[in-house]
Amino acid sequence: MVTAGIIGLGHMGQLHMLNAMRVDGVEVVAGADKSEKNRKYAERFHVKTYDDYSKLIDAEELDAVIISLPNFLKKEGVFYAAEKGLDIFLDKPISRNLAEAQEMVGKVEKENVRMMVGVNYRYFPCVQKLKNRVDNGEIGDTLIATSELVLNGPISHAVVPVPVPEWWLSKDLAGGGALLDLGYHLIDLLSWLLGDFDVTYSILENKMHLSVEDAGTIVLKSKSCDATGIVNVGWFSKSIFPDFNFRINMHGTVGFDSTDRYIPADARINAVKEGALNLIRRVAGRKLSYLSYTYYYSSFYKIMDLFFDALKSGAEFPISLEKQLDVMRIIDSAYRLNKISLDKHSDIVQMIDSEYHLNEVK
Amino acid sequence: MNYNFSGIKNVVIKPNLCYYWPASTGETTDGRVVCAVIKYLRKRIGNDFNITVAEADASAMRTKFAFSVLGYDELCQKNNVALKNLSEGNIIEKTVGVGKTDVTLPFNEVLLNADLIVDVPKLKTHNFVGVTCAMKNIFGSISKPRKYTYHDNIVNVIVAANKIIKSDIVVVDGLIVRGSCPKKLGVIMASDNPLTNDFVAAKIMSFNPKRVPYLSLAAKEKIGEAENISIIEDGVKLAEIKKNFPHYSHTMHSISWGAQLKLLKAYTAVSGDVLPPFLEK
Repeated sequence: MVTAGIIGLGHMGQLHMLNAMRVDGVEVVAGADKSEKNRKYAERFHVKTYDDYSKLIDAEELDAVIISLPNFLKKEGVFYAAEKGLDIFLDKPISRNLAEAQEMVGKVEKENVRMMVGVNYRYFPCVQKLKNRVDNGEIGDTLIATSELVLNGPISHAVVPVPVPEWWLSKDLAGGGALLDLGYHLIDLLSWLLGDFDVTYSILENKMHLSVEDAGTIVLKSKSCDATGIVNVGWFSKSIFPDFNFRINMHGTVGFDSTDRYIPADARINAVKEGALNLIRRVAGRKLSYLSYTYYYSSFYKIMDLFFDALKSGAEFPISLEKQLDVMRIIDSAYRLNKISLDKHSDIVQMIDSEYHLNEVK
Repeated sequence: MNYNFSGIKNVVIKPNLCYYWPASTGETTDGRVVCAVIKYLRKRIGNDFNITVAEADASAMRTKFAFSVLGYDELCQKNNVALKNLSEGNIIEKTVGVGKTDVTLPFNEVLLNADLIVDVPKLKTHNFVGVTCAMKNIFGSISKPRKYTYHDNIVNVIVAANKIIKSDIVVVDGLIVRGSCPKKLGVIMASDNPLTNDFVAAKIMSFNPKRVPYLSLAAKEKIGEAENISIIEDGVKLAEIKKNFPHYSHTMHSISWGAQLKLLKAYTAVSGDVLPPFLEK
């Protein structure tokens, strides 16, 4: 039996807790959160709670922790757990910036513990199907891959109206906006599908006048093949669950494929079908396919299952920290390149302005 | 509009900035309409008066971000008018009778002390109360951020808010409306009474205003004229606006969404599958 604690019982922490409780051979011993409301949610499922994660880690016999803290608290959470010898599951993004990510990875290596970052998009059924076709060579050599993820971000509430936590809107506390939040997944996916990339172009938008970017486009060039990857992200869409504006399109020398080809045509019909199958599994005494009725959310269970499987067997995690550092390297480059692009843009605007004035004078 | 603007010193303009959604979604008041109102007031009153554009925090919205995200910071700076978060500053509790009950609500003194209140709502439907326009926009000016706590008594609270805060002029932003979906209608409506305005707005959205509980109660409380409404059509006919509105069944939505959630909860209870926390609350 593997014992686990949940650090951070907000929306994601609660979901991880429910999923971890359903993984065979895992006992969720306790959870920690400053919020009484969040602690009460966990207590409803008979999970012991603490108002401080250090108290949880010090008091309980744990093998691992699931860390779902805001970006600005991740480093200290990882450091504390690593020093106590605990293996770690960490929500993406790994950190606010590359330097912090490197420190965190250095720390877990030094303390000889293991850490896996929860890039659950790899386990969307549509992404898995696309990956199989790419790996089998069915679309040939991919020359262009475009990826899109445009969600509500901080501009729209979920089903229940609650304000978005203010740290999301702070560059210091969050580290970044739509690129770090959404682009992280897309960059991880393109790298996983096609290998390592460098950034060649980056333009990040701030239409909402926040201290972080609310949209952006970056262009990637493969280090090992001829592929160009394009990442489009935005926080500007009002649409919420079950709408999900995500896709990857692969253009290869043999043909084209897209995640859009594999998603259910109707989310509600899929929910009914998958729900019915699970009820049959239940009656037959078989393991459920958790959250498959939501389609995309099943990936959260899957990644939790893989994390604990690796812990139990001692096998390598399916998601390496080296690759996650690469994602942070690309994001760091995109932020720096965007600054250069903006400066250049500003120069061009000044040049056009001065030419315009000259013409007016003439 | 034949409104007597003499002696006006403090004007409050109340747009609907319910969330951080831009005007293109049909959810929030288009800044261009507020700009037009400011210009109109200056033309009619002159320059010797103060204009404040005001909004209160909402359950899922913080005004300080909404002003910035929706461009109101810039709009007010350019037009030399003040911006006010109605959830901050001097808040005064006011009690008013609605039917046989008393309702006490907190309002900002800036709103209470205004000589002229210009209510600039959206023309849109609402999942909870059906119609949202001028009267519901005044509900949005209550200084308490967590307004969903009023939902159990929302009919009385909307009416009470409008008895305490009386909109002098209503200018409805119907440039982009929202019913079953957003739609460009390009309509501006104006009225000197929020109830009268909302009766017409309800009809445009295919609601029977007498069957919208808060409008029916407001009519009984004589907040405004609900029977003999005089409408001046300029450029576009009311029937045409109604025909073009993206109609939406409030009842069907409530039944459908409620039934889906109940089914989902029953399914997860029986099967042992996970119910994502955000769907449970």
